[in-house]
Amino acid sequence: MARMALRADATRYFLGYLWWVLEPLLYVGVFYVVFEVILHSGRADFLVFLMCGKLVFIWFSKSVNQAANSITANKGLIGRINVTKTLFPLAVIQEGVYRQMVVFLLLFAFLYLKGYPPHATWVYLVPLILVNYLMIVACSYIGACLVCIVRDFSMFISLSMTFLMFTSGVFWDVRALGDPHKTEMVLAINPLAFMLDAYRQVLMHATAPDWAHLLQIACGSLALLVIVALVMRRSSQYLALRALS
Amino acid sequence: MLALENVSLSYQSRRKSFDHGAHHVLDGVSLEVYEGETLGIIGRNGVGKSTTLRLMAGILAPTSGKVRQRPGKTASLLTIGLGFRPDLSGRDNAMLAAMLQGASPKQARSYLEEIKEFSELGDSFEERVKTYSSGMLARLGFTTALKTHVDILLIDEVLSVGDARFREKAAAAMKSRISGDQTVVFVSHMEAQVRDICNRAVCLHEGAVLAEGDPVEVLAAYGEVSR
Repeated sequence: MARMALRADATRYFLGYLWWVLEPLLYVGVFYVVFEVILHSGRADFLVFLMCGKLVFIWFSKSVNQAANSITANKGLIGRINVTKTLFPLAVIQEGVYRQMVVFLLLFAFLYLKGYPPHATWVYLVPLILVNYLMIVACSYIGACLVCIVRDFSMFISLSMTFLMFTSGVFWDVRALGDPHKTEMVLAINPLAFMLDAYRQVLMHATAPDWAHLLQIACGSLALLVIVALVMRRSSQYLALRALS
Repeated sequence: MLALENVSLSYQSRRKSFDHGAHHVLDGVSLEVYEGETLGIIGRNGVGKSTTLRLMAGILAPTSGKVRQRPGKTASLLTIGLGFRPDLSGRDNAMLAAMLQGASPKQARSYLEEIKEFSELGDSFEERVKTYSSGMLARLGFTTALKTHVDILLIDEVLSVGDARFREKAAAAMKSRISGDQTVVFVSHMEAQVRDICNRAVCLHEGAVLAEGDPVEVLAAYGEVSR
């Protein structure tokens, strides 16, 4: 389903598959102009710093936003076949995974060109990406249920993504807040801020992430994901009624 | 094979214009589908015919009452167009529909050429479904369900669209399948079709069963209320 949707998406636009990398790059471009050219961030490595954060953030926000609306968007299919409703957010997430693989390759190439050659610590990206994926699935399932039950959550979720973009250190450094307590607090409260910082630590500073913290996020996401998936399986017909009525 | 026992379905409407926002679609409906028969369901618009099929297919659950289905039997609902993803091609949609009905990717792929041929879509089969006319959608929908194999085929108004020639071809294909041991539940507005195809009919009126039995008698009862 995800592959079909991707192919359909690519044929819809003149530039086709190019949009997979063009869209995130344009976002980075806009942020670069605002925070470096106009506001002078003061960091020599700002573009690399921005790309590590923004490209990962877009993966999360776009997947969750689209997955949240996926059950209601497929109400035609839902009215015809009794299927587990987790299928729809999962298809959207899978679409995002295919896209993100290309985006990551682009990021690695860019890092190499900017003087950050691949390092042994890049292996840590494997658990990081896995945990990131679990977070996306857990949040998407919750979002998809909420939007299916009350459509207004769709607005709320897209607003939350804007809020998260400002609070997760996409264009500012959590470690440069001046007060170590504040940094710790932001990283503890906001798992996404922790994730973005962990990617930067691995890619830019060849440092391992805080494993205990990462494990906590992984367990939390996994627990949420399993619970919501079970609830969705049990209330499949209720969700169908909400999507159709 | 499949039975509804005193089934009611209501839901909270977003607009509070009904009974405190509750919209009653079905109210105490009991009916049974026997193996190998073709049951016709008739009734005016909005009387709950499509909802009845959705309950039979297990897509919706009743608010009260029971839907009993013999274990291991699959039921599939066939409606016009609505189940398609407009941004995908006819081929992808047919593939998706077959797989969602339980076919493996290999099986689904093996149906595709047959579907393309019977539906007479030609090159349009590779086009996005959103460019299709309602007749083309019906042709694709009908053929997809006809060529994939299910125990109980639930058909919602599909035979009443498409051009006359395809309608005849579809009705003929339908009849040859019915003459086998296919169990079919069939919703239609077209009285002649119900009379031709069905062994038995049920007329729904205001969310309840008004008449049940021989199609000719049930159609007469429908004639009374639809006047």
